[in-house]
Parts: sequence; structure tokens; C-alpha cells
Amino acid sequence: MPDIEVIKAEAKRLLSEGMVEVVLAFKAGETPLHPQPAFFRTPDDVDELVYSSLNQNNLATYLTRLPKESKVGMVVRGCENRSVNALVVEKQKSRDNLYLIGVPCEGILDWRKIVAKVGEAVKSVNESEQEVMVESRSGYYLVERKELLHDSCMRCSHPNPVSADILIGEPLAESDSNLAREAVEEFEALSVKERYAWFRKEAERCIRCYACREACPMCYCTECFVDHIEPRWTESGATPAGMQAWHIVRAFHQTGRCTSCGACERACPMDIKMTYLTEKLNHDMKEKYNFETGLDAQTKPPFATVTLDDKNRFMV
Amino acid sequence: MNFILEKQALPDLLQTWRANFDVYLPQNLERFTHFMPLAAEGVTVINEPHNTRIPPKALFLPMTETLVKFTRFGGYENAKHEIEPRIVFALRPCDAQAVQLLDTSFLQVKYSDPFWLERREKTITVALGCHEPCDNGFCTTVGYGPFNKADLDAMLTDLGDFYLVETFSEAAETCFNGFANASETICVQALEVQQRAHDQMPVAFETENLKEKLEQNFSSNYWDKVSLSCLGCGVCTFLCPTCFCFDIVDETQRRERVRNWDSCMFRTYSLEASGHNPRPSRVERTRQRLSHKYVYWLDQVNQIGCTGCGRCVRYCPVGLDIRSMLRQAQSLPFEVSHAS
Amino acid sequence: MAEKPGIALFQCQWCLFSPADQDWVDNHLPSNIYLTKTPCTGRINPLYVLNAIQGGADGVMISGCLPEQCHFVTGNITARRQLEEFNDFLNHIGYEKQRVRFVWLDLQDRCMIQKELAAFEKELKCLGKAANLVTRMKVAEGEQNA
Repeated sequence: MPDIEVIKAEAKRLLSEGMVEVVLAFKAGETPLHPQPAFFRTPDDVDELVYSSLNQNNLATYLTRLPKESKVGMVVRGCENRSVNALVVEKQKSRDNLYLIGVPCEGILDWRKIVAKVGEAVKSVNESEQEVMVESRSGYYLVERKELLHDSCMRCSHPNPVSADILIGEPLAESDSNLAREAVEEFEALSVKERYAWFRKEAERCIRCYACREACPMCYCTECFVDHIEPRWTESGATPAGMQAWHIVRAFHQTGRCTSCGACERACPMDIKMTYLTEKLNHDMKEKYNFETGLDAQTKPPFATVTLDDKNRFMV
Repeated sequence: MNFILEKQALPDLLQTWRANFDVYLPQNLERFTHFMPLAAEGVTVINEPHNTRIPPKALFLPMTETLVKFTRFGGYENAKHEIEPRIVFALRPCDAQAVQLLDTSFLQVKYSDPFWLERREKTITVALGCHEPCDNGFCTTVGYGPFNKADLDAMLTDLGDFYLVETFSEAAETCFNGFANASETICVQALEVQQRAHDQMPVAFETENLKEKLEQNFSSNYWDKVSLSCLGCGVCTFLCPTCFCFDIVDETQRRERVRNWDSCMFRTYSLEASGHNPRPSRVERTRQRLSHKYVYWLDQVNQIGCTGCGRCVRYCPVGLDIRSMLRQAQSLPFEVSHAS
Repeated sequence: MAEKPGIALFQCQWCLFSPADQDWVDNHLPSNIYLTKTPCTGRINPLYVLNAIQGGADGVMISGCLPEQCHFVTGNITARRQLEEFNDFLNHIGYEKQRVRFVWLDLQDRCMIQKELAAFEKELKCLGKAANLVTRMKVAEGEQNA
């Protein structure tokens, strides 16, 4: 785990030297399972800053909500750093206005898995590199970290920030990038019928609260296609047509833009799996165009860089 | 009337009810519980110390509901929903209270919602009191409680191997016909359990003068502070048992007019046709949500429009907590109004 | 399958050079083919394709100009990148890949569109009716211009 005091010192320095107007990070929430994204504007505020593996949101989602020209400092993990890069590529924020405090990430703990494991009323969570100690109503539990990691974090291959201005903590080993590919291939090995059955089962729980959209840093459109009235692209209600269209198009709009952070899935109040959709798209982008989102702040995503060279790909 | 219901007898009882009723009770859906109609076999009575993910308001106000079917040439007919008599079993008192609160909106003297009315009339609610405090709830704080009996047909109290059934309507009495009457001692025992559960619920915030404080600080920067990290999704409102906003949409391709759940946390909720939005940012929308529950409900029906079920706390993706928001509101300046 | 498969045809308005072919597409399409003409294949939003599929199309055919012959220079290739991926994606969630077909039409070709449609229809017949993702009501016949 990175030293929290070093992160705090760096955040304080940024604010007191006037390098940034606001530092984006987490503060302790009302309950131990839910740290809250917070905006630190003065060095004194920074005392509240926390860093833990329960910080489940992708902070980059707030970048497009702050004024475009504002100078922002951010505590970023691997996926957040890539999301920032993707936003810079899409000219939503200038990299010059950002100061990234990088932290190598050991994976986000899924609070739902914790509750499933230890029961209600979690009083405290203490983590070390390998294990997590949870205190709940029914007692103390020592659980292996791996068992509590969020699904998308188990497949993560770039835990380290790629372009942070300062890195706090030792970089971790880059993990096996085949894990995401295997997950996609495993799903594709199912028959058409089984795949659709799975998709339908997941999509039909949707209540269309759009938490996935709001939690996603790349969903920054002023008007989303589902909010569009003329023409109305999809059915408006919680009907099969409407819910399926939402899940298909939401994911498809992330093609070449998704960083596999899994924030959508963690935000979902109905535990709907979504990363099996975006992982497929990411997998295809890598196979077809050798593109991975956010590894740098220059390369445009495949759908934005069409060239006539493609003709050789498409001619039969 | 008070009855004793052995826990072992419950699955059979539920099946007996199935002959005359659609029985809805919480069942496992993936990793959470959800009100679903009881199937012929495999009854599992779930006794988790917290409520279902989707509140039972969905049984009375479905997420999407057809109101009118129309043809291309101007003809239309009202949609008919076949609603069978039904029993909603093991809903929690907070959710039952919420349904009663919603009655004040859907069943007004002058205008009442026919779909809501029909569903309400054909439903018998059998609640299961919470003998164990749930994690994020705060029902006692807002004036209700783990054994709140408002507007129920029957209430179950868990007493180990059996439930004490208290019935409050004739319809419910017939449902429990044939069960042994409870003795005085058992009733006292149940009262103790109920009182203990009530006392175990922590007080999350003070409600005294809360209305005045929120009302008089309409333009305070308090709202900026509490809405800062809000994402603007609809989790809190969609999962809220007392949120009832809906949007009526014409689905032209299906030739139907439908009613969908809507949320005041959405940008499009208050967006006007001119393009003007009276609640342009999440600050105003958060203010609306909180004020509706803790100010406007009080103005309209003199009840707090929050039953303390804790869903918004538990499922908020950024860990925003209404309890802490309202605690912060306690320090707001206010003047006692003498009007009332 | 007794019934002919329903095909949604998205046609770029520039891709049929021969007036006879265009006339056939505009006025003499068989009733199982539902035509949507677009200014360029680049205008075809994946949502159009999705709506056709949800509305019960057994197959979707997208006809466009050859690479380097696009009226708007790269419209066809942009569309191809996106729609090809969209097709793969739909296949991932259970709409068979063969049900979406792209055809490049050479400006010089004559009667190609008829041949391509016939071949596509034959293949769709083997696949049978589309069952997955069909969740939306069909637009009734005779209402195409409503």
C-alpha cells in the first residue's frame, strides 16, 4: 500500500503552491465500505483524504464536470490514469491543466463480495498486501484479498499509472494481459443461444437509473441517446427492447474508449454484469487495430482514425 | 386477532394461499432478494436482516406500465391490467409505511389513480417485522419503526421457532384461519422483542426543526457541499420506496402510451420544451430530492416522506449518505416560524 | 421456412450507378425487403441497424460504394470500421454474424444488387427466422412513409 502521508503531503504541496485549484481524491464515508469522492480545495481539507482499496469510483468521471480550464490535481490509479489520457485525447481536458499523483493499484475490493462473505453491519476493514481483515456484526474475518477483488480488477493488466507526474509507492508487476482475452474467449465459446440467454438475463434486471453512465468517465455527452426525444432512438421504459438497446449501445459507444476500470459495474444497483460487453470490444480493438485505450495521451481511438489503407482489410 | 404460526408450517400455508391468491414474497434473484410470485414448488423463506433491493412500490406502480393503446387513425382504448387478488408476504414495515404514504398521492379525494387503486384493493399485505436492526436503516429516526403497524393487514414477529401473527383486517384473519390463538404471555414476549428492536435502532439525526432549517436555507451553500460528489444517477430515487415520480411517454412504434418511473435527479426531468431547465445542476436536484422528503411532504400531508429504509444509503455508487447530509443540516441557521 | 426472410436494406444513394438498378430498388423491391436509403453508408448509425434487428429483421444488408469511390471520400470506410465491429459485437451477444452483410457495389456493375440480395436471402433461409434480440414491434406494412 502506498504511504497515505506522502499522498497527503503531495496534495498539500499542490494546493499551497497554487499549482492546482482542487485535488480530486477520496475521503472517509459514513460507512467503512463506502469512501466518498471528495474535492479538496485548501491544504487543511487534505487531512480528510483517505486512500484504500474500497475507493470504488473512477475519479476521472468528475473531470468533465469541472470547468474546462480549471487546474486539477488527482490521485490516480492505473485505470484512472488511462481514462484521463483518453479524455485528453478527446480534448475534454488539457494535460497541462492536470497534475496526476500516481498510485500503483492492488485492485479494488468489491463491497458486495465483502458483505456476501462476512454478513451485515461491517464495522471496519483493514487491508494488507495479501489479506483483508473485516469486522462485522458476526465477528472478525480474515479473507484473502483475491477473493474480494472486483471482477474487472482480477483481469487488470496495467495496475500502474502510465503517465503520472509523480508516482507514490513501488510500481507493481504488470499482470498477465491474457486474462481479459480468456474471459472473452470463454464467453464466445458458448452457443449463440446461450450467449443471448445470458445477455437477456443480465439486461432484464436493468431499472434504467443510468448509474453506469454517470459513473463512466467516458460518458460525458451533454445529451445521451436515451434522453433524446426527436428522434427517439429506443423505447423509453424498462421494457426488453429498451433495456437491451441501452446495454448494447452504451457499451458500443465505448469502443476504443473503455479502459476496463469496471466503474459501471460497481455503480450498478442491480449487480448487472457489463464488463463482458466492453471487454469484447477492447479485445477486438487490440486484435484488429493493436490499440489499447489510454496508454498514451496522443493515439486516437480506431473509430476516429480512418484511413484509406483500410480498403485492403475490407475487400474480399 | 393474534395467532401463532410455526415456522415449519409456513411453506404449506403459502402454498395454500396460492389457490386463491397470487403470492409475492422476497426470493433470491442473482445475489439479492426481489419480490417475485411464488412458484408451485421450492419455497424458500428468506430471512435476511435487510429489505429487498427493489422496493415493493414496484408491485403497485410498475417500472413501466401501459396506460392507453391507440391506433394510427385517432382511436384509442384504455389499457386493461388483469390483476388477481394477491398477498404480499414478508414486506418490511418501512416499505409498507411507504405504500401508505404513496396512497396520499395516488388516492386523493378528487383524483385517484385507477391502476393504483385496483392493485391496492386487491392486495393483502403481511409484513415481517425486523427483530434484528438492519445495517443502514433509520426508521425510528423519522418517526416510524421496525414494527411500525401503519396500514398493514397483518404483521409477523419472529419469536424463534414460530411467528406471532397480529392481524388488523378481516381479510387477513381469514388467511390465518385455523391457527392457534396466541396466549397472553406470548403477546408480552413479542412486545418485548418489538421494543428491543426499536431501541436497538440508532438515532441517525435529529428531526426537530429540520423542516424549517432546510426551508429557510434554500439558497445556502450547504446544498453545494452535500451535492458535490453526486453523480446524478437515479439509484437513490428509483430504489426509494416513497419516490413515485413518473413520466408519460408515447411509444409510437408500439402504439402505446406508457408510464415510466422517472427521477428528479435526471437532467431531463425538469427540462422544459423551450430548452430552459429550472434545475440546471445537481445542486438544485439534490435540494429537490431532500426537500421533497423532509419539507414538502410535511407541508402536504404532515408526514416525513422518508421511511428510513436505508436503500439510498446502501446503494449510492459514491457513498453519499442522507443521514450525514441531514446531520450537517442541523447546524444551519433558522428562525422558528410562528405561523402554525 | 415457408415465409421469405425479412431483410432490412440500407443503401447508399450513390452506390447504384445504373438507373435501371436504382429504379428496381426504389420501385420494384420484393415485399420482404425493407429499404432505407441514406446519403452515404457513413450516415448509417449502428442504432439504425439495431432498430431493424429489434424490429424483427432476419438479416441486414448494407450496400455502399467501393473504397476510394465514396462520394464523401472516406464515408464508406468509416462506416465499415464501425459497423463491422458492431456486427461482431452483436454476434457476441447472440445475433448471428452471417445475418449482417456488407456489399461493395462497383459503379460499373449491373444487376449486382439483385444477385447479392438473392444470395443473401438464400443464406438467411438456411439460418431460419431470427429469434434473438427481436423485442420491438414491427412497423406494420403500408406504414413505411408514416
